[in-house]
Parts: sequence; C-alpha cells; structure tokens
Amino acid sequence: MIDFSMYDFKEPKIKAYKCEKCGTVYYPAPMICRECHSRRDPVTDKHWETFDLEGPCELLAWTRLWNLPEGYNSKFLLFGIVQFDNGLRASGRLEVEKPATGMRLVATVEESDERPGKPVHVFVFKQD
Amino acid sequence: MARVGVVGIGHTKFGNLSQYDLGDVMAYAATDALKDAGFLERRKEIDQVIVGNMASGLFCHQSAVASSVVSKMDMEPVPAELVENGPASGASAIKIGYMAVASGMADIVLVIGGEVMRKVTGWTGTEYVATMLHPEAEYDMGLTLPGFGGMFTRMYMEKYGLTERDLALLAVKNHANGAKNKYAHIQAECTIEAIADGPEANVVNTYVAEPLRMYSTCPVSDGAAALLLVNMDSPKAKLFSKKPVRIAGIASATDTHCVHNRKDPLKLEAVRIAAEKAYAMAGLTPKDISFAELHDAFSILELAISEEVGFFERGKSFLAVRKGETAIDGRLPINTSGGLKSKGHPVGATGTSQAVELVRQLRGEAEQGRQVADPKYGMAVNFGGFGNNVVTMIFAKD
Repeated sequence: MIDFSMYDFKEPKIKAYKCEKCGTVYYPAPMICRECHSRRDPVTDKHWETFDLEGPCELLAWTRLWNLPEGYNSKFLLFGIVQFDNGLRASGRLEVEKPATGMRLVATVEESDERPGKPVHVFVFKQD
Repeated sequence: MARVGVVGIGHTKFGNLSQYDLGDVMAYAATDALKDAGFLERRKEIDQVIVGNMASGLFCHQSAVASSVVSKMDMEPVPAELVENGPASGASAIKIGYMAVASGMADIVLVIGGEVMRKVTGWTGTEYVATMLHPEAEYDMGLTLPGFGGMFTRMYMEKYGLTERDLALLAVKNHANGAKNKYAHIQAECTIEAIADGPEANVVNTYVAEPLRMYSTCPVSDGAAALLLVNMDSPKAKLFSKKPVRIAGIASATDTHCVHNRKDPLKLEAVRIAAEKAYAMAGLTPKDISFAELHDAFSILELAISEEVGFFERGKSFLAVRKGETAIDGRLPINTSGGLKSKGHPVGATGTSQAVELVRQLRGEAEQGRQVADPKYGMAVNFGGFGNNVVTMIFAKD
C-alpha cells in the first residue's frame, strides 16, 4: 500500500510553543524557556507542546506600507501587530477596510510565495 | 584601562557612489583619517584595522572587505577584521576598537565604517535591509524596517498626541543642518510649507509607511567614514598632529529580536540601557551633553531616542522641537550633521559618521552656521535592527 497522504492538502498553520515544565507560551519558538530555563530541541521539540496560533486577537498597531520590497507587486499592503487572548503577540498582514487600533480581529494563516525561496506561511488578520 | 582618543577623522561625501568599489570608498575615508592625523606615511605602524559593514555580501556581492581595504591601502601585514551589527555596525566597530586600545592589546587602531547600497534598486535594497528582521515571525510576513517605523509612529501619535506636522518640523530642522554639511547626501533645505502646510504637501511628501512620509524617512545612501584611535596614555599619542578627542563613554545593549515581543513596544530598552552604561562610564548625566547625533532613520526615532537617553520626559520631546530647543542654536542641538534624514544612511557607515561629526563639533571644525557654540560633550546613538542592538558613544573635549 502506497501512502499518498503527503500529497493531501494541508491547511497552512503557524505554531506557537508551550514549555511543558512551567507552562510559559511563546511565539516565535524560543531555544530556552525564560522562566524555567528548559532547553528546546528544534528537531524533536521534546518536553515542549506546540499549538496552532490562530483565532481572536486585538490590533495593537498598524501601518499601510507603500514601499514594498522585491517580490511584492501590490501598490501597498497593510501590516499590523496583534495580541491574542492568551497574551501572545504576532506581526503580520492586515486585510481590513478601515483599520483602527484596538479593533477585534481574527488571525488566519495563508501561504505566501512573494519572498525569495520556498513559499512560507504568513498571518493575515481579518475582521470577523 | 587606558584612555582612548580620536586623533584622525575621514569622511566621503554620502550619496550615490554606486559606480565605485566598496573597498575604494572605505579606503578613501580611511586615507583622509590618516592624513588628518598626520600618520599616512607611518600607516603600517597601526596595530589593528577594524571595519564596520552590514551587508556587502548582499549589496555588492563581495565578502571579506576588511582584507580588501587593507590591501588597497598598502597596509599589509596589519591585522584587519570585520564587525557586523546591522545599521549599528559602524559604532560597534568603534566599540571593538575602543576595547582593543583600552585593554592594552593595541595602541593605534584604524576604524572604518562603510556601505555601498545603491548598486541595487531601492526595491531590492529594501528587501536586503529587511533580512535583519526575525526570519519567520517578521521577514516572512513581508514586513520591512519602514513598516516597523510606521507602526511605532502610529503608537506614539496615539499615546502622546504627536502630529505629522511635528515630524515635518524635524525634517525642516535636520535639512537646515545638512544643507551646510559638505558630507551630506541631501544638501538642501526644505520648508514646512512644502512638506506639511502647503496645498501640494501631500504630493511632495508622500506616504512611505503611514503615518510616516518621505520627509520622515532617511534616503538610501553610499559612503564611508573612518577614525584613528590611540591610547592617550602611551608615548605613541605624541606621534599625531591633532589633539585627541577622548572617548569618555561607549556601551551597547540588546533587546528582543521580535518587536512584538517587547512588553511595551514603545520603549526602546536597548537605547536606555546603552545610554545609562555610557553615562556611568563617562561619569556624566544627560544635562552634561552639549549636542547629540541620534539615529533618525525614521524621524520618530530621533524623538523616542532623545527621551530614552534622558534629554526629555517620555512623550514630551516633540514639544521641545516645536520650541526650537533642538535646533542648531537651541538649548540642546540634535543631529547637527543633518542626521540620517539629510546626511544619509549608508548603514555600515552611519556609526562612524556620527562619531566623525562628534569630533568635528568638539574640535570646532563644523561649517559656519552649524557649529555648536563651545561644546564639551557630544553623544551619538547608533541603532541596530529596529532597536534590538544599540550602541551609545560619548566624546569629550578635554
């Protein structure tokens, strides 16, 4: 029996990390827990839980960027920093008509191939 | 620790030098520094060359630039190494040079900072500079340094009441200084009517990263600046034609790589800590500083840095700018060179360029109309990343 599951569509996700020893959560991945100094092995993630970072969040800051770097063909893009309900924060793109600091958003993840190299997963913060 | 002084300075004009080789640009500034010190013919007696550069591998497709510049200057076998700390590479090179002399490892050190960025388009250059961000959590998202500048500006505006016109006032002030600086990239004044108040201001001064506009953002520049450091307590200090300007304090500090992971994203902790360490080393307080060069890659940073180093209360610096307190004839002139906004920002050269400006002011050699009256202490803050690796320097006229 040949396993074709590697060809299945996988919804893009971005991982956050939780130290099993003390419960501190992180995004992006740390190498050492700031609270209990547990080490994270980036190959096995042993003693660390991972979970998908997504869902409701609040907009802390935003900008409309007009001078996009190489690879981007849009006239402009909106970017923002958000805070999730578990306290974690993330930077990413914003797809909102009228952004305003403090507004409630939902974090989604999409695949982007604009940067050089392999396609990557990016946050896109949208209105509910 | 030995006392360390600057006995020679050199500086290319900043601007578009993309037709030149990076090593040539650096060697030009370094040769001027050696001539200034009266040490050109004895250059092989230098104990160490330290080169500051951020991204020659990307911008110029060239590596090992320290070896290149030493060879171009016929200085072999003098040891030479490269220091990289993003846009604070220049000041980090000075710090390492200071440590070499203060520790007794070397008596005479040549520090050169340089960058040639305009061999590539602005589109590509923005992409290269963005590689200093967190690879997955910032760079992959499509973010750039102006993007963070824009978000930081909006947070500051919403918290403290800063306006876009206040940012334009900074551009007017810094261009007034840069217009008189023979090394500046943009040697032209601008008026508040043209960039903020007039009917065509929106066209002249377009948005780059809202609410940051073009006149609140530094140009992309090429150039180099160099300094010759000496052990002031060594007999060798008498070999030079210029009286040393003493490095009274020099320190650096780091902050989180991801901007969003700072407890208060409006606080530049690395700036505050580096400044506190430099003040302690120099035995000075913010009130002792006569003038300052602050890393205004985006105008908001001049304000935020001036607060973190203790010149003004948090959220109050722009009120001082409105009153002209930081103008060339003000109580505390800031960015007397024109700052990054007018003088330009060849990333690896900026720290050494700021240091050259401190020396020119303390020697009384700045051009007419932008010379600070009888300065005693000058401070410079060179900002790496978006504030995640910052170097502060205090120079003294003894």
